[in-house]
Amino acid sequence: MSRSRSDILLRSGLGTLAGLSGSVVLLILFFLVAGAMPALRDGVLPRLFLDEFWQPGSQRDPQYALLPMLAGSILVTVLAILIAAPLGIAGAIFHRFYLPPRFAAWNEHALELLAGVPSVVFGFWGLTVLVPLINRLHPPGQSLLAAGIVLGLMILPTVALTSQAALRAVPGSQLFAAAGLGLGRVATVFHIALPAARPGIVAGVILAVARAVGETMAVVMVCGNIAKYPQSVFDSVRPVTATIALEMGYATSSHKALLFTAALFLVLLSGALVGWLAFRKGKNEAAVN
Amino acid sequence: MIPPSSSDHGPVSSCSCGGLTLTGVSVHYRDFTALRDVNLTIPDCGITALVGPSGCGKSSLLNAINRLTDLIPGCRVGGSLRDGVGTELTDPTLDVLALRRRIGMVFQKPNPFPHSIRRNFEIPLREHGLPRARVREVMEKNLREVGLWDEVSSRLDESALKLSGGQQQRLCIARALALGPEVILFDEPCSALDPISSAVVEEHIAALRGRVTVVIVTHNLAQARRIADRVGVFWIRDGAGTIVEEGEVETVFGGAKDADAWRYLAGGAG
Amino acid sequence: MVSLFPASFTRTRRPGDILLGIAGGLASAVTLLALGCILWDLVRLGLPHLSWSFLTGEVTENGRSGGIGPILISTLMILGFALAFVIPPALGCAIWLSEMVRQGSGAARIITGSVDLLASVPSIVFGLFGMSFFCQTLGLGFSILSGSLTLACMILPLLVRTTLSALQSLPADLRPTASALGLSGATMIGKILLPAALPGILVGITLGVGRALAETAALIFTSGYATRWPESPSDSGRALSVHIYDLAMNIPNGSGAASASALVLLVLIVLINTTAASLAARWHRRHSAS
Repeated sequence: MSRSRSDILLRSGLGTLAGLSGSVVLLILFFLVAGAMPALRDGVLPRLFLDEFWQPGSQRDPQYALLPMLAGSILVTVLAILIAAPLGIAGAIFHRFYLPPRFAAWNEHALELLAGVPSVVFGFWGLTVLVPLINRLHPPGQSLLAAGIVLGLMILPTVALTSQAALRAVPGSQLFAAAGLGLGRVATVFHIALPAARPGIVAGVILAVARAVGETMAVVMVCGNIAKYPQSVFDSVRPVTATIALEMGYATSSHKALLFTAALFLVLLSGALVGWLAFRKGKNEAAVN
Repeated sequence: MIPPSSSDHGPVSSCSCGGLTLTGVSVHYRDFTALRDVNLTIPDCGITALVGPSGCGKSSLLNAINRLTDLIPGCRVGGSLRDGVGTELTDPTLDVLALRRRIGMVFQKPNPFPHSIRRNFEIPLREHGLPRARVREVMEKNLREVGLWDEVSSRLDESALKLSGGQQQRLCIARALALGPEVILFDEPCSALDPISSAVVEEHIAALRGRVTVVIVTHNLAQARRIADRVGVFWIRDGAGTIVEEGEVETVFGGAKDADAWRYLAGGAG
Repeated sequence: MVSLFPASFTRTRRPGDILLGIAGGLASAVTLLALGCILWDLVRLGLPHLSWSFLTGEVTENGRSGGIGPILISTLMILGFALAFVIPPALGCAIWLSEMVRQGSGAARIITGSVDLLASVPSIVFGLFGMSFFCQTLGLGFSILSGSLTLACMILPLLVRTTLSALQSLPADLRPTASALGLSGATMIGKILLPAALPGILVGITLGVGRALAETAALIFTSGYATRWPESPSDSGRALSVHIYDLAMNIPNGSGAASASALVLLVLIVLINTTAASLAARWHRRHSAS
């Protein structure tokens, strides 16, 4: 076989593998849409937002209220971000502008280790340690609060690490300029470092939001799984991901199609977040050039 | 700590306590000695140029004077640096933020903050206690000082990064002057600029004579000769930088006693 | 690079600076303490149940007693097959993106865009997809094979991205040098570029193993719940993470064994991530030295 023939073969082989890799997401979207089709065709879509209850398996009076679960996803995510963002960003400021280098390296290693803890382990800890605590404070324990705290702690190391990286990327010349003018830490942090690091920090928080919305294990074990609007943080909730995880095992026909519809919502939501991030990054790069 | 008074934002008309006395100064980075045994007197309100090949510790010396060396991990400064009233600048208990207000610095690469021109003055001036109402007046005075006012007065709220390199460097000089420093350290302020901008910046540095003590590191020997009163020549001795010749500019350029300094200055002149 | 820890700042006298330090220090302390508590609780709850027979024994009473031997084997099989499925397309895709197409060309942007989109898909959706495609459409049923194929899809973007950046960080003059020597494309890729990028690729693979090991949601509906010793890849096999979930949620009095399993999972993950970090550090050192 001639050399150019073999190179053409190589090129087309690699191209096929690349096409295969690129088509996985299309395949997933195709299956989601195909799975959701029966529900979409039967005109269930408006009922997802108008119905009062979630009892899709009921023979007599099926009800398809997805909205409380979307609300559950959003509330849990908001609570998680309210915990993770302030702690993560303030911790990153401390890491960059106060901690001596040796301790800073340890802090970073510890956070990297914690970022790798599996979500099922967080969920398990929430169920065995946190839920009983909250139960003593206000029953039932399995609640919006528990899910928010567990999820917040889970994404906290990632928020802290991305914020650290963003602060580290602030050009040294800027910090030297600030030091040369005798600026203190508050002015250096708030007027120089944070404005320069803001795109990176915001990107980290958005990624954390996407992760929180899509997370299943850390919430399903502690949220109580009641598909209603919570009246307080001590009420049980049921995010979309938890619904899929709990019902996929036994759902059939139209019920199953609904779960695919819910999954489609999830993919569109997290895809939109990540896509927006990529768009923002592209725009920033275009602005720099 | 020098309390921020309302009258000294901008170059003062007569000098006081702005001279520096360096005795046996050394700068070490972990195991590496960048600078050893520097003795130098920097006269009040004069212009002192520091020249010599790259890597013999001139910039390290500037960083040691206003304690930017504190920002570099593993960096130690030895010896004694005293200002005109005898304050020891290496004293660990010194308020370095107040020190850096008294001893300003202009870096090789222009480094305006990526904010508006106005914010570039507002941030440091407010930090050092100037009332918000006076920021504009101090900014205007110092931008005029570096000949930038007419060029930027209509776009004070635009990003400082939109200015040309030379304009950015003059902005940095004005920003340093606005804090009313007694000393300004220039670290090769013209080497990142084109020849025309370089000449403009040089002219404004020369105009500071008699009002602020200027220490300037430069690789441009002709420039040193044009603007400086005194000159110090740095060279490597025993693996570390040190000062090998120091004196009035014409004396040193006319005939340095040190052989290396003589050759270096002659090469630059010829 | 100049690290900018401002030693001088420690002697700050400004109340604002001190307040900011206290606030930031508290945030750091709360972060490390809260997460440290989680680890401590797991060790506290899990260590008493841990023993050699627990690691190797059969699962009895739905996991309440006995060990996790078959589950560890199933987990290993799922990981092994997932790697076997993901490495060829991921490497091929990364090589194609880095060596065969111009950066920023239409085809390259479509492929990278869809791989990045794949990275944003929540893991439960992978589970749903795996169940309907691998288990049902392809007829693989709840099996180790289905689970590993699902995980392969999930870690594909990670592996493509790390391999791509390993290839792109190679010295640019390697390619013209190889071409000037008259090497064919296959020789250049197989004998020069891939070996040079191998440490970076290994880091990516290790990270992928960590992600796969930590995954639960994608496996619940694909690899199944069986606790027998797996005999072939088409058997159903329960992954360690699924075991923890099942014990905690569905088995009364299962939390002791769940704690011990969680501890085992945690130790495995830490080992793998530490390996990845030290590989990455070595790769980085070698790279900056050359």
